[in-house]
Order: sequence, then structure tokens, then C-alpha cells
Amino acid sequence: MRAYQDMVFSTAVRLTSSPAQAEDISQEVFLRAYESFDNLRSSPKAGGWLKTVATNLTLNHLTRHRKRWRLFSEIFSDDTRDEELDSAAEVFDTVFAELETDERRARVEQALERLPDHQRIPLVLYHYEEMPYQDIAERLGISLAKVKTDILRGRVAMAGLLAQGGLGAPDDRRRYSSTPPGAQS
Amino acid sequence: MSSRDQTDEKLERLVSQVLRDQPLRRAPASLEARVLGELAARARLPWWRRGIASWPALVRVPVISGCAVCVPLVWVLSLWLATRLVAVTRSRIAGPLATLQGTGHTLASLGALTTHIIQSIPRDWLVGGMIATATLYAVLFALVAVGYSLLYPRPEYSKAHLT
Repeated sequence: MRAYQDMVFSTAVRLTSSPAQAEDISQEVFLRAYESFDNLRSSPKAGGWLKTVATNLTLNHLTRHRKRWRLFSEIFSDDTRDEELDSAAEVFDTVFAELETDERRARVEQALERLPDHQRIPLVLYHYEEMPYQDIAERLGISLAKVKTDILRGRVAMAGLLAQGGLGAPDDRRRYSSTPPGAQS
Repeated sequence: MSSRDQTDEKLERLVSQVLRDQPLRRAPASLEARVLGELAARARLPWWRRGIASWPALVRVPVISGCAVCVPLVWVLSLWLATRLVAVTRSRIAGPLATLQGTGHTLASLGALTTHIIQSIPRDWLVGGMIATATLYAVLFALVAVGYSLLYPRPEYSKAHLT
């Protein structure tokens, strides 16, 4: 359990942006894993199994509250201007070169948390879970065009939050483990 | 490819790069204790309060067999009961149904008679009657109000009472 608890918790907390809910979901994931312990004990796919169950349980949890953010997702159209895209790319391209790794990671995590649900959830599914647009649309029950728009707007909004500055307090760094990059998938 | 598409792709690539560089979030220290506590609580439950998969085979087999027998049994019993119920209901409600039908006819006749009487009264008489009724009610309310104010005068509070 110790080997996977950060991965399971990260999956849940990045989708929910609520540590309390993520902890509840993580507990449920490990209880289910215990029920399938005989199969998982020697399986090399245990990590993948846990990640899939964590993602599914989190999405089920979020789907119960979907109406709240689905409405906003359907209302806003893709009115992202070219300048906003350029500016966002510039933020990701240049600002991070000037920040130290720890501070950058803390800022990114906070910016992700502050995104509205209808932008953060598809963004996390696309970038962290590597789900295709079509799968995200089906899983969330929204149109393909809206998934693309929400992800695009999410990226731009995230750049805006990062550019605001003052996001990453030094204490926030303690919340993140020192697991090497790329180990989460 | 348009410049917007190029910027879009570049942004996607940069965001992917930045997010993949993020370390895992550290799980709360309480998580492991919570999971172990829940497992211990579940282990303390008696077998009949757990899932059927963890029941003893000696109990599980008869229960599953019983359920398998119960399904067709309930189906046959439901059909038999439904047939009986329809027959009994039909014979029992025949009498009250006839009475209700007679009452319905009587009420319909009374309704038709009332309509006929109202239609035969001249319109001016009806309007006059309504005005007279309204006037009489207004006079009655005025008399009641005057009588109430005379018989039950409101108590007057002096400054002494208020202070």
C-alpha cells in the first residue's frame, strides 16, 4: 500500500482538488484492492489496476455533482483569442525557466487546484491520464467540442494563474513528495 | 497549418511537459491507518453481515439453491394470486359498483335540474340578487365590527404602564 498510496491519492486529489475527498476515495480504492488481493499480490499490473480504479471512483464521485459544472461547460463558447494563446504559451515557455524546480511545482499544483471543475477535470484526464478527447467526452457526458474548448481554456486560465505570481508560498512545497518525475503513470 | 493551430499545439506540448514534471502529491499520513482500521472493523463483522462471497460454503450453497427455487415459486404464486384476486374483486365490488352508479345518475339528474332552473331565471334578477347579497354581507360585517368595538373596547395603556 505504501508503494502506491501517493499515486492513488495524487490521481484523486488532482481530479477533485479536495484532499479530504481524495482521502476518502483513496481509502475506498485500497479496500477494493484488498478484496482482490489474491490477484493483485503477484501481478505486475497492480499499479495500473489501482490507477484505473482510482480514476473511475473519482469520476463516479464527481459525476454525482456533475450538473453544477456541466452547466457552465455548456454555456461558454470557444472565444479564446489568439493573443491569449500566445500569452499563455509565453508564460509556460519563459516564466518556468526563471523559477526553481520546487517553487515551479508548487505554483503549478496550486494553479491546477484553482481551476474551475469544468476545466480542471478534462485537463487532468487529458494530460495526466492520457485519455483521448472522445473518451473524456463520453466519460463526462459532454460534447467533444466542449471538451476541447474546456481543455484549451483550462490551459489559458492556468497560465493566467501562474502569471499572477505570489501563488507558491514556500510552505506549500512540503505537501509534495519527492517521488521522481514520471513515476506517477 | 494556421498560426493559431501552431500556437495551440505548442501550448499543449508545454502544458504536458510541465504537468508531467510534477511529482506525486503526498498522501496524508492518516490514510494507511484509516484503511487498516476499516479492514479490521470489517473483519470483526459476523459472517452473515459480510458479502455472500465470504459466507461459509455450508450456508452459501443452501441459500443460493433456495433463491433459485424461490424465483419460479414466486412467479407461479403471483400468477395464481392475481387470478384469484381478480375473481374475488369482481364478485365483491359488483354490489357497491351498482350503488355508486345509481348515485352517479341521481347526482347527474340533480345537476341537470339545477342548471335548468338557473338558466330559466332572467339575467337581471341574477345580477340584482348578487348585488343585494354582497350589500347585505357588507352591512353585516360593518355591524359586527361596530358591535365588537363597542362591546370589547381596546385597553388603553397609560404612560405608567409603558414605563
